[in-house]
Amino acid sequence: MEESPLHQFELHQWIPLSIGGVDISINKAVIFMWIVIAVAAVLMIMAGSSRKLVPGKLQSLAEMMVEFIRNMILDTMGKDGMRFFPFVATLFLFILFSNYIGLIPGTYTVTSHIVVTAVFSCIVYGLSLVLGFWLHGAKFLGILIPPGTPGWLVPLMIPIEIISQLARPVSLAVRLFANMTAGHVMLAVLSGLTISGGLLIGWLPITISIAVYGLEVVLIAGIQAYIFTILTCVYLGDAFHLHGHDEHAH
Amino acid sequence: MPQFESDFFSSLIFWEIVSFGILLFLLYKYAFPGILSVLEEREKKIKDSLDQAEEHRFEAERRLREYEAKLNAAGKEAEAVLAAAKERAHRLLDENEQRLTAEAERIRGDATREIEQERRKALQDIRIQTTELALMVAEKVVQRSLTEADQKKFADEALDALSKTQPR
Repeated sequence: MEESPLHQFELHQWIPLSIGGVDISINKAVIFMWIVIAVAAVLMIMAGSSRKLVPGKLQSLAEMMVEFIRNMILDTMGKDGMRFFPFVATLFLFILFSNYIGLIPGTYTVTSHIVVTAVFSCIVYGLSLVLGFWLHGAKFLGILIPPGTPGWLVPLMIPIEIISQLARPVSLAVRLFANMTAGHVMLAVLSGLTISGGLLIGWLPITISIAVYGLEVVLIAGIQAYIFTILTCVYLGDAFHLHGHDEHAH
Repeated sequence: MPQFESDFFSSLIFWEIVSFGILLFLLYKYAFPGILSVLEEREKKIKDSLDQAEEHRFEAERRLREYEAKLNAAGKEAEAVLAAAKERAHRLLDENEQRLTAEAERIRGDATREIEQERRKALQDIRIQTTELALMVAEKVVQRSLTEADQKKFADEALDALSKTQPR
């Protein structure tokens, strides 16, 4: 059975649907988005309903994740940033569960679609812009001039900073998409090699593919969710504390 | 790459936003308040316990200092008592020694005086007896009595002579 390593990312319309001419058909990725939010919601709500001071396993796991995100927010945005806790935590859980559920054979990795990661990064970046202009008004444009820039460098710095600002949502989206895609492509290629290699040489790619799978499970899936979330916090934090100066801007 | 086929973009974007919205709503409503409150409660409890432990430590240290001070005072008191007892013992010893020395001195003095007295008495007795003996001899020799004065005079002369010839 020979197939392209990219075959796994293909989508097929399962249930055709549309609203006002816009296609919103159900496909495999959509189903797995539902599975992701169902798993995340059930797990977190169950953990949240058992409010024991000495937690059980599930509660510990949920609390660990919540505390992880809370510390991330407190470190980057301070106490005021806790307003964004639900958003940031939901983002983290969505990406984390997408990444992990996608690693189960036969499932679909929602985050391996550039459009999915792009939507998240656009929401995050858009939110940081809205927040920045809402808190600081036109002064938020000062984010284009890093503190300590000499006057004669300003004309040069502004274009550079505009590019770096625009690179934020792009890199955020591409990083997650590329990591998830690359991991799954590599696993598919190695599995293909195992099958075509046969008994004689097939042990080598399967050994590597087990190692890569372990790497994906232990590191990539979690770390990419973490990176996406911490960058979200950093971007929102930048909007919160323009240049880190006015901590009490609002 | 299948990911760049734009046929599915609209449905993915739509369902992603809807799913994310639902998840955000569910977690915001039912999961996060509980978990966060438990975390805060636990943090508070830990902080309280730490505070309490710190308080207890202070209390213990205070007590320790108190006891040490008391112990010191007691030690000093004991030392003072010991010193006083030693001093008293020394004084008693000295007093006793002085008293005994004086007593011994007195007894020695008494004995010396007594001996001297006895010696004198003995000498006196000897003198009287010698005198009488001499008189008796003299009477026998002279066959005449002498007056008291004469007797005394002769006796003294005889005794002087005797003491010269017989050194004591």
